[in-house]
Amino acid sequence: MIQIAQLKKQYKETVVLDVPALEISKGECFGLVGNNGAGKTTLFRIILDLVRATSGQVKINGEDVAQTEAWKSIVGAYLDEHMLLAYLTPDEYFETLRKIYGMSEADLKHHLDRFTELFNDEVLGKKKYIRDLSKGNLKKVGIAAALMGNPEVVMLDEPFENLDPSSQIRLKKLILREIENSKVTFLISSHDLNHVTEICDRIVLLEKGKVIRDLREKAEMMSELEAYFTG
Amino acid sequence: MFFTLIRLQFLKSVRSTSFAKSLITKLVMGFLALLLLTYVLGAGFLLKRILEQFSDGGDLIQILNSYLIYFFLGEFMYRYFIQKLPVVDLESLLHLPIGKKKIIHSLLVRSFFSPLSLIALLLFLPFSLEVVGTEFGWMGIITWLGSILMTSWSLHWIMLWFKQRFEDSLIGLFVVFGVLVLGAGSSYLGWFNLGELMGPVFDLALVNPMPFLALIGFFAGAYYFCFYYYVSNAYLEDLTEEEEVRFANQNIGLFSRFGLPGEMANLEWKLIIRHKKSRTYLMLAGFFLLYGLIFYKNPQYQSETGIHWIFIFVGIFITGIFMLQYSQLFLSWNSGNFDFFLSKRNGVSSLIRGKYLLFMGSSLVCFLLSVPYAFFGWQILLIHICCFFFNIGILMHLIIYFSLWKPKPMDLNKGAMFNYEGVGAAQWLMILPMFVFPYAIYVPFWFLFNEVIGILVLGVLGLAGVLAFKPLSQININRVLSNRYEISSSFRQEL
Repeated sequence: MIQIAQLKKQYKETVVLDVPALEISKGECFGLVGNNGAGKTTLFRIILDLVRATSGQVKINGEDVAQTEAWKSIVGAYLDEHMLLAYLTPDEYFETLRKIYGMSEADLKHHLDRFTELFNDEVLGKKKYIRDLSKGNLKKVGIAAALMGNPEVVMLDEPFENLDPSSQIRLKKLILREIENSKVTFLISSHDLNHVTEICDRIVLLEKGKVIRDLREKAEMMSELEAYFTG
Repeated sequence: MFFTLIRLQFLKSVRSTSFAKSLITKLVMGFLALLLLTYVLGAGFLLKRILEQFSDGGDLIQILNSYLIYFFLGEFMYRYFIQKLPVVDLESLLHLPIGKKKIIHSLLVRSFFSPLSLIALLLFLPFSLEVVGTEFGWMGIITWLGSILMTSWSLHWIMLWFKQRFEDSLIGLFVVFGVLVLGAGSSYLGWFNLGELMGPVFDLALVNPMPFLALIGFFAGAYYFCFYYYVSNAYLEDLTEEEEVRFANQNIGLFSRFGLPGEMANLEWKLIIRHKKSRTYLMLAGFFLLYGLIFYKNPQYQSETGIHWIFIFVGIFITGIFMLQYSQLFLSWNSGNFDFFLSKRNGVSSLIRGKYLLFMGSSLVCFLLSVPYAFFGWQILLIHICCFFFNIGILMHLIIYFSLWKPKPMDLNKGAMFNYEGVGAAQWLMILPMFVFPYAIYVPFWFLFNEVIGILVLGVLGLAGVLAFKPLSQININRVLSNRYEISSSFRQEL
């Protein structure tokens, strides 16, 4: 699904990301962990072609992301508020996305129905602009938006951050359901080791831009990660 | 505190990703300000002679006093259009133990150091030394000039409040329009004589310090009025607290025929009506529809063919003012959500096409609204038609091309109060070079043939530009696409 080859990102002298090879296969739930400044967000941004790689390339379905745009219709992402249109209400925002993705109104309703529990009646049907929402609700809007249009790849940066505990659990359930039902490839970065080990079947640990662990065994994940982070 | 704030502001601009652009703007502005101030000073030296021409042997000072009110009305107008409001990163200061009042005081005091505060002084100082001094001595100069300065400077504070409060609303526009009518009504049409209202105050100021002292009081009052308004609004939320979601389903139906770009145009329209800054631009466009009244009837600009060269300027302005101003910040309007467009398929190109669509629409509306000017002659209508086509065919692409050089991020969502500069001189500055283009085309044809041919050539070129819309817009789209990383990272950095 996603191939990364010889990828490097450098700001002047400092190398912030250096990934010789990484392949994420279809339907995988790929977790990305690492301390602050490890390069998680940069990696996501390069995959989304928001940041230029110094060298190397990222391919989604065989397409080089920096060269084409076709991949954008199968990738949904929510990294930060810059991906929202803050001056719309959530309803208007979803409506706009509906038109962009060419979905029918029934599709949209069906899609949003899946989020009823997560939204907890605080998002839809409110006369409130996105810019006035709380951080947690902002995140919920972004996540629901990223999952629109039947994407094959969904990228979420710190999805559990700012969510209240019950929303975190609901989101976890939602992601697990998506993986099971529609074989979506998830890329999730998180500081919450419990959540990420629970939903992901593969976890990559970044340190100073380098992949230092690539864990695939559910049983060992938690202990390995704990050992690393307690240092 | 004052200097710390100035230092912070300085660092912010130096470290900004669009530093080069703002530096150049500032240099040009500084140069222009210097030039204009020199002219003002020159006018100050000539003031005595100008008045002598009018006076028919009357008392120069009295005549000047009776005209001062027009000066202040004029000052109100130019301050409205070019005075910038002070801004500060309130968010990062409010929680510190500095004290709101201190921040606001230094903010206001800083705003006072502006070339605008010098205009009255430079204009009237030579006259007061030359004429007032000889008749009334030093005391006369101090009280008379002092009164004028206090009035002018009080306007500074009043304008700070007025623009902050009303600039994006119809009320503000009505007041400004009212001032215009008041000035014009009393002088040209002779409804009443405004001069008699203010004249006596300044007459008295020559011999009596009372008006001066009273105006000092007024100045201080205006300052505190403005100050308290700012202090009481020094919160992060918007002025109107939680804004009602207005125009909730306000889509412009016509746009939806244009597919994804049309959808983007609708989005952009929502952006415009939901943010104070962009609403101001919209209001201004409405105001400038009246601009033609100053020129088309003016005897100074009459000619045999009914086409004066300045009319092109007016025509371009009237049919394109919104586009001319709004598109200077072409991508900056979307700096808060540029990643959204980047992450959608064809997102950026649709966004740009959508903006194009919106500009064309706004120009069309302005053009249609300006059709009544045909009352002044068919030539005016012809000028407007041709300028309209030139605007949407050629000029639009050019402005956008230039505005894409290091676009500056702009946070529209912060509380409007301290983040809102209003429309200032810089917005006008960028427009001026744009007028080189229509004249570069018009003037040769005017000399070779005549005015009508010149105008028609503008129109035909514009029409050709409209027909070549696809390839022309692609140039700018490609420019954005090839600079997308720089643009998106600069937008992300600075909010």
